[in-house]
Amino acid sequence: MSTSTASLGLPMVYLVDDEDVVREALAWLLRSRRLLSEGFSSAEAFEALLDEQTSPGRPHWPSAPSCLLLDVRMPGTSGLALFERLAERGLLQTLPVIFLTGHGDVPTAVSSVKRGAFDFVEKPFSDNALVDRVEQALASSAEAIQRRRAKERVERALAELTERENEVMRLVIEGRPNKLIADALGISVRTVEVHRARVFEKMEVKSAVELANLLRENGVG
Amino acid sequence: MSFLPAPAPPADTRRPRRLRRALPWVALVALLLVAQALLVMLSVNYEAARAQERVEQVATETAIEVKRDLSQHVQRLQALLWNDTTPEQWRADAARLLPQHHELLRLERRTPQLQIVAAVDTPYRLPLFAQMPRASQEAGAEVACAAARRSAMPSFSRSYHVPQPDGPGLEVMDVCIPMRPAAHDAAYLVASFALNTVLETVAAAEQARAHELSFVEGDGTRLARAGAPHGAGVYHAARLVDLPGAALQLRVDSAEGRPRLIPNLTTALVLGLSLALYAVVVLLLRDVRKRASAEAALAEALSFRKAMEDSLITGLRARDLEGRITYVNPAFCAMVGYSADELMQPDPPPYWPADAMEEARQRQAPRDEPHAAREGIETVFVRKNGERFPVMIFEAPLVDGAGVQVGWMGAVLDISAQRRVEELSRQQQDRLQATARLATMGEMASLVSHELNQPLAAIASYASGSMNMLLQPDDDTLPLVRQAMTRIAEQAERAGRVIKSVHDFVRRREHSREAIGADQLVDAVLPLVRLQARKSGTRIEVDVPRPAPQVVCDRTMLEQVLLNLTRNGIQAMDPATPLAERVLTLRLRREGERRVRFEVSDAGPGIAPDVAEHLFTPFFTTRSEGMGLGLSLCRTVIEQHGGALDFESRGPDAGGGTTFRFTLPIQQTVAAATTP
Repeated sequence: MSTSTASLGLPMVYLVDDEDVVREALAWLLRSRRLLSEGFSSAEAFEALLDEQTSPGRPHWPSAPSCLLLDVRMPGTSGLALFERLAERGLLQTLPVIFLTGHGDVPTAVSSVKRGAFDFVEKPFSDNALVDRVEQALASSAEAIQRRRAKERVERALAELTERENEVMRLVIEGRPNKLIADALGISVRTVEVHRARVFEKMEVKSAVELANLLRENGVG
Repeated sequence: MSFLPAPAPPADTRRPRRLRRALPWVALVALLLVAQALLVMLSVNYEAARAQERVEQVATETAIEVKRDLSQHVQRLQALLWNDTTPEQWRADAARLLPQHHELLRLERRTPQLQIVAAVDTPYRLPLFAQMPRASQEAGAEVACAAARRSAMPSFSRSYHVPQPDGPGLEVMDVCIPMRPAAHDAAYLVASFALNTVLETVAAAEQARAHELSFVEGDGTRLARAGAPHGAGVYHAARLVDLPGAALQLRVDSAEGRPRLIPNLTTALVLGLSLALYAVVVLLLRDVRKRASAEAALAEALSFRKAMEDSLITGLRARDLEGRITYVNPAFCAMVGYSADELMQPDPPPYWPADAMEEARQRQAPRDEPHAAREGIETVFVRKNGERFPVMIFEAPLVDGAGVQVGWMGAVLDISAQRRVEELSRQQQDRLQATARLATMGEMASLVSHELNQPLAAIASYASGSMNMLLQPDDDTLPLVRQAMTRIAEQAERAGRVIKSVHDFVRRREHSREAIGADQLVDAVLPLVRLQARKSGTRIEVDVPRPAPQVVCDRTMLEQVLLNLTRNGIQAMDPATPLAERVLTLRLRREGERRVRFEVSDAGPGIAPDVAEHLFTPFFTTRSEGMGLGLSLCRTVIEQHGGALDFESRGPDAGGGTTFRFTLPIQQTVAAATTP
């Protein structure tokens, strides 16, 4: 596990399976590999958590690396239906889904992988291999969360820029020299230089190239 | 009489035909009429001719007779002249002569100058010239005497009428006979005849009755008459009686009238005969008509039957008692592909398969029992192109009009299409059954695996987790591992319960067991077995004692076992075994007091040792479409019934053949009595 993910908080594995025994045994197994887990006996119970965590005003969830072990065949809302809802909410990157399938569910599981599930594991599973996949999913989750955070940071910085600074920044990214920017905006070269320094400071970059990369990587600007 | 209502021909064509048919009969009747009319006419004419002939004859005879009579009189008178020469003497002789001859009315003795010397009148009448003087009638005598003198022969005068006081008068004729040598006072003898008396004398009684005889003048005036009072005027004849110096016209008129039609015997005969002929013709006509209509009906029936035979799709075949074919219909020819001529000759028939000749012969042989015919026999024929096809034959004795059996009449049905459909539906059914079985099995397996997966997954998780912990033990490890072990034990037990419930499900079927005769089990599967065997041409032989002991069993399961074993046997022989040797035997034997043994033997190539090793292993199969569960399931079923399944295979070297056998315990009689 990389050092950067450690800063995100403890990884969490969510277990959704109607079989108490299976849930319990999986939790026990994960614990033996020092992973935290939380069990839910049905898709509805997990959705209640989701609704609570993603209610307006709350910070983006999950904030720690997470992964969902989801049984395909369950009474009530099936694992597949729950998967569809997660996809709608755009949570598949930060909360990778690993399907647990019984006999005969393999084709549906495969098709769900094609639609964005992280993996599927057939029961009875090779346990440590399953945990290995869980850790890979957690790492993937951590990366997604970090990407999300970086993007949030850039957006916050952009929000702090004044209108004039924003205009100057657009022209800087386009690679125009200060003289031309001054001409374009009808201000003095001196003023442009002040704005430019303020932009670099606020965006925590040292050069125009770095600024352009930052904006491009986070898909803003 | 007719088999079908004859289609009425259009009226305009029917009429000329009827007319044409009636024409000969009309002609015949017309000819008969003409012939008969001719016959009648001819016979009437003949009658008439006969009558005429008779009249002619009478006339001739009478004429001759008159002439003879008159010439006799002349001779007699001449004799009178020679006897005496004196007038007294003459007078006496004449008086003696006259009464003897009625015809003679008067005799005169005359001088050469024709002066009457003496005259004698007949005593039967008044004197001839009482009413009229002799002198007024002298002309005739004078002419006659002149002629007599010239010819020195007697000569007759023309006749003349002498009125009489007592009647209408007499027609009289004189004859003058010259005397020679002439007497001194007389030179001529003149005699007067009454013509009617002459006629009466000469005409025989018979002739006189039937004919009117008369002397007539040239113009038809009647001078004298005799015989029948009145002639009919139909048949008459005239003869000239030639006398010296004069001629008399004799006329004979028959009293017989024109021949009448009816009373005439000949006509009656002809009429009767022709009536009989008519009757015969009418009878003949009716007979001909009846015969023609019967013929038409027969022809119609025959063509109907022919059309029926030709249009039938059932093949018809007649054979004599030696088995030679005597008749085939077109459908049969089309079926086997041989022409009728090709089929008539040979023995054995060309459509018998070469490898089943003996069987076919045997089949013909025991046809003596009467009931065998009705059921129909199934066999295989070969077409001309070599194709084999199954047929169904129904045969019945062919009995001729005298009630003697002359052969066999058979209806032959080509059932290959039917077979194909049956085969197809059977295959489909097999496939369906297999699919259903697979689906059921899949469902079952899915259920069971789901039930087993949960505890197994838990067990695996606990075990792996424990292993993980034991790699890096710390203080918490021991209680945690203990907890895990408890869970593992629990889940193992749960898995065991799942297995047991499956087992219980299987055992529940034991409740459906019933007591049944072992032979009934065999009988129940036999139709299906035959169906399976038909495709490959396998013969099924059944060797089952009856009644067979009873067994308690799940009937459906055991039937399935028997079906499985027979199907294996049939498939083992096709195509490895030659057709003639493909025999599957179902045998039932009692084994000791308590068991009964079922055997299914085939004549296949046997089972190879490496195959035999895995024979009862589940999911082992030598067939591409097999599931490999058959024999292992069979063994399980038999073992559940308290029996044992094994097999014996001789292998290809020892002649081949495999026998599968299983035993079942016999239902004891006490139990059997309580089982319904």
